[in-house]
Amino acid sequence: SSLLPKTVLWILDCINSECPLCLPGLILFFYFVLYLFLAGMFSFCMYMMLLTLSPYTPTHRDRVSPPGVMIRPYLHGFTIAFNVSEPSTWKPYVNSMHHFLQAYNNNVQEEKNIECQAGQYFIQDGAESKEKKACQFKRSQLHSCSGIEDPTFGYSTGQPCILLKMNRIIGYRPGYGTPVSVDCAIQKGNASALRSVDFYPGNGTFDLMYYPYYGKLTHVNYTSPLVAMHFTDVKKNDFVPIQCRLNGEGIVSDVNKDRFLGRITFTLSITM
Amino acid sequence: GLTSARAAEILARDGPNALTPPKSTPEIIKFLKQMVGGFSILLWVGAFLCWIAFGIQLAQGVSSAFDNLYLGVVLALVVILTGIFAYYQEAKSTNIMASFSKMIPQQALVIRDAEKKEVPAEQLVVGDVVEIKGGDRIPADIRLIFAQGCKVDNSSLTGESEPQSRSCDFTHENPLETKNIAFYSTTCLEAFLPGTATGMVINTGDHTIIGRIASLASGVGNEKTPIALEIEHFVHIVAGVAVSIGVLFFIIAVSMKYKVLDSIIFLIGIIVANVPEGLLATVTVSLSLTAKRMAKKNCLVKNLEAVETLGSTSIICSDKTGTLTQNRMTVAHLWFDNQIYSADTSEDQTTQSFDQSSQSWPALSKIVALCNRAEFKPGQGNLPIMKRVVVGDASETALLKFSEVVLGDVMDVRKRNRKLAEIPFNSTNKFQLSIHETEDPNDKRFLLVMKGAPERILERCSTIMINGEEKPLDEERAEAFQTAYMELGGLGERVLGFCHLYLPEDEFPDTYPFDTDSMNFPTSNLCFVGLLSMIDPPRSTVPDAVSKCRSAGIKVIMVTGDHPITAKAIAKSVGIISANSETVEDIAKRLNVPVEQVNKEDARAAVINGMELKDMTAEQLDEILINHSEIVFARTSPQQKLIIVEGCQRQDAVVAVTGDGVNDSPALKKADIGIAMGIAGSDAAKNAADMILLDDNFASIVTGVEEGRLIFDNLKKTIAYTLTKNIAELCPFLIYIIASIPLPIGTITILFIDLGTDIIPSVALAYEKAESDIMNRRPRHKKRDRLVNEQLAVYSYLQIGILQSIGAFLAYFTVYAEQGFLPYTLLGLRVNWENDYNNDIEDSYGQEWTRYQRTYLQWTGYTAFFVSITIQQVADLIIRKTRRNSLFQQGLFRNKVIWVGIFSQITIALILCYGLGSVTALNFTPLRVQYWFVAMPYAILIWVYDEIRKLFIRQYPGSWWDKNMYY
Repeated sequence: SSLLPKTVLWILDCINSECPLCLPGLILFFYFVLYLFLAGMFSFCMYMMLLTLSPYTPTHRDRVSPPGVMIRPYLHGFTIAFNVSEPSTWKPYVNSMHHFLQAYNNNVQEEKNIECQAGQYFIQDGAESKEKKACQFKRSQLHSCSGIEDPTFGYSTGQPCILLKMNRIIGYRPGYGTPVSVDCAIQKGNASALRSVDFYPGNGTFDLMYYPYYGKLTHVNYTSPLVAMHFTDVKKNDFVPIQCRLNGEGIVSDVNKDRFLGRITFTLSITM
Repeated sequence: GLTSARAAEILARDGPNALTPPKSTPEIIKFLKQMVGGFSILLWVGAFLCWIAFGIQLAQGVSSAFDNLYLGVVLALVVILTGIFAYYQEAKSTNIMASFSKMIPQQALVIRDAEKKEVPAEQLVVGDVVEIKGGDRIPADIRLIFAQGCKVDNSSLTGESEPQSRSCDFTHENPLETKNIAFYSTTCLEAFLPGTATGMVINTGDHTIIGRIASLASGVGNEKTPIALEIEHFVHIVAGVAVSIGVLFFIIAVSMKYKVLDSIIFLIGIIVANVPEGLLATVTVSLSLTAKRMAKKNCLVKNLEAVETLGSTSIICSDKTGTLTQNRMTVAHLWFDNQIYSADTSEDQTTQSFDQSSQSWPALSKIVALCNRAEFKPGQGNLPIMKRVVVGDASETALLKFSEVVLGDVMDVRKRNRKLAEIPFNSTNKFQLSIHETEDPNDKRFLLVMKGAPERILERCSTIMINGEEKPLDEERAEAFQTAYMELGGLGERVLGFCHLYLPEDEFPDTYPFDTDSMNFPTSNLCFVGLLSMIDPPRSTVPDAVSKCRSAGIKVIMVTGDHPITAKAIAKSVGIISANSETVEDIAKRLNVPVEQVNKEDARAAVINGMELKDMTAEQLDEILINHSEIVFARTSPQQKLIIVEGCQRQDAVVAVTGDGVNDSPALKKADIGIAMGIAGSDAAKNAADMILLDDNFASIVTGVEEGRLIFDNLKKTIAYTLTKNIAELCPFLIYIIASIPLPIGTITILFIDLGTDIIPSVALAYEKAESDIMNRRPRHKKRDRLVNEQLAVYSYLQIGILQSIGAFLAYFTVYAEQGFLPYTLLGLRVNWENDYNNDIEDSYGQEWTRYQRTYLQWTGYTAFFVSITIQQVADLIIRKTRRNSLFQQGLFRNKVIWVGIFSQITIALILCYGLGSVTALNFTPLRVQYWFVAMPYAILIWVYDEIRKLFIRQYPGSWWDKNMYY
């Protein structure tokens, strides 16, 4: 027993004690020690677990792919309703678009990102930790939906622009060599309600050069490529449900439970 | 007799001649009681909150609204199913009774319209004249108008087993004492009945004496069993914790600016997590398993909860006859040649080993065999002698069996010594006599044999046989006789004297006409041969059982209608009064002082006479019950049993009472556990009792006590096991609310643990063997030794429960981290995470997730959390096998059912995870194999930690650690 450190002896003494005065304190002390130990063990385990993770790529990516789809403007739902003659009804959408497109301003893109060769994946070899270059996606590429010529993105004329964005997935190469394209259609009802949509850039495709994505840590200035949809002739004064889909190899857009996987549904309600 | 028309009239007025069965609760009420008892109310509240939330969310168009509808339905189903289960269990144990009360409809021979008719006994009315033959049950209370040698067995009414003669004479004012009334449900004995008896019905149905007692019994309230109180206490604790945590976090959630609706949903989660939904069903199953085990050991339990009541019994008030004794007279001692010999009185004797070499013995054995009218019923040649049925009274039966054992075929002996004349026993002569030819063809003398009350026999003797020779009966020899007679009488035995005389050949030639009326033969100056004494001997297993009771801290009190001396003798021989204890009277005798001068506290034992008890106040009775540890109540009426039981209950004791007569039923009802005799017991007693002893054997009660104690210990383990994971189910909700992380485990998943993986293991703990000799400790104190005590709750909730939660959270964080959501990203993520419109939430790596992808990940988290709890529950199950001993002392494989439990647990988890992983409503996903092992270190830690706990408990008994950590 002489080999036991003094603290152990003291703890054993405490355990064996019957002194009633020190009891409440002893209980508190006991739980303090126990929880301290558990907290320590938990931290240690978490630390060990985090050590096994790569800071660049998640261990598993099976749940995040294939990609989902989102649109801008995004306020609080998927119904975009406004009255052309009342700017206050569409102003929030326009502001949201402007805010979103800040990162795509030509000068920002030119300053931070490089020009890449279109039509092929921009694969950057080398160490995983090396900082990756990002390709320029200039706001001007969105043409009439860039908000440069028409700062109201067509909302003031009843021809709203909507931006479509494919969710980022590390290492994902959409289309397997063929660019993924976007098309839109009336989801239910009369097809004539949606007579014409213009897509930018390049007829509504996501160029291969923006892929693959290398992750937040190394692909610092990466900006997701966008497809702008200019609804130039939509039935007015009515709710028009529109579904836009991604088309391309490896894209899944028919899962019942996930209505945002490879497709998105929103409603346009433009009042003149 | 009556005319049929008049009888029908009276029948319409008085109702049928049957006892109204005790008012039973309507089935629907019983069922509804199950629906609202225990945790059901809490779960109903949860279900209704769910439906309210569903209604509101549906109106708001929230996509997950239907989840709440389903959850509400599931909760309601859980309540209904467990309710049905409990109801079914209860109904099943009631059915056990149904088989007992199934009575063959009794017929009565009644004179109506001046004709003898057989009618069902139910249709008897007051004024009917009925005929009774031997062996019949008396169909109603009747006044005898003609009776010849009629004897009745009133044991079912009064508990007295002595047959009582009945005649037409009015002998007493009290209807219970007078000889001309025979009571409903008593039996008319066959053996003494040469003629028939005729009587007039004076009371029917509930108006009979038996009916009045039965209604008295149903008036005695049914109190809650100790285990029911314990479970109530436990439900209060858990419900208290659930409601207070629920309300606390409701307030916290509201003050953290959560929407009220969300807060209500949190509240539901907290309730579901806190309530061990499967536990009450598990307890019922455990109890019924024990009940089954007890039934195998001859204790049939009517009311499941009585299983445990027996275990906490601290006083057993036992009958003597049939319970402690074999309920048959047996020759216990012999006296001849001035010497007392002991005979074997065990149940399965085949030979007698006392010294039979004396010359006097053949003479004595011949008298015993010949002077006896009892006979074996024919056709039982291959049965053991002790089991054969005999026609004859108790003493004669004992003597017949005794001589069959020592001599061989008695019938043959009687045939060889042909009987010529006989005077049967009657109460004026107090002797029985017969005259026989001898079996020796050369000996032409006749042999006169006689037996009877020893003092009467001795009076008729002038000589005494010593070593085969007739010696004059001088004063010294008479003194020796008196000493032996007193000694045997002091043992509480019934003593008979035997004598004989060889009639001289010249006076009594071959053709001599013996006439029993004129008694033309000598009946004095006979030769005294010996004494035989008989007793209803204790069952051979009883002394052992009584000493077990004693070491188990259970006080055994004998309550009997018998004579104090017999009662005391049996009490001594079975150990209810131990060898070295004395009663006040014994001390007085030893010290030669008057009884009043003896200090009552010096006497451990007490023999209380029913007459004394009658004059006692409640305080005096209490004093006796407290001061004496070994008590015998003799000459008590069955009504006094109730007083004794109440006295014991005033000492806070849990009282078990045995009984068989109808008169016992109030005491059986009043007792914490009433034990009726399966063989000798009347239906009324069986109805009033909680348990039925199939073999009427006291020793079976003791095995029942053992089982009862074991199940109490094991229920503790089951509850500790079940409560532990509640914390692991609760913590996720609390952290979800406070830290706003995605929900770690869903309510449906929790239900799958509570009602899926955990059920079989918790039942398996009921099969656990005792850790130490549970019959060596005192019975638990009703109010102090709780089923769920503070230590159990604290150890399960705050130590193992927290450990489990941590292990499960590790798995949860691992799943999210490996998919891209590092732990710090999760904090505060909840609102965005649960936003249906936000389909591009960024994880720690910059990837973007749709709502459904997140939901699926959340379910993976649920599954990982679920699997981790399951894995740690395996460890929890293993540590719960013992509370004090090391697992290595208990043995890992002694209880095989535990392994069935573990196997089932893991199989169910595998099926849920991989088999049903594609059914989205269940919220399970096929989990990567490695996640099954994340919580493994914690499972091992749980086991190591508990071993250390147990080690310190064993090392430092009575210490701070022992007091705080032993549950």
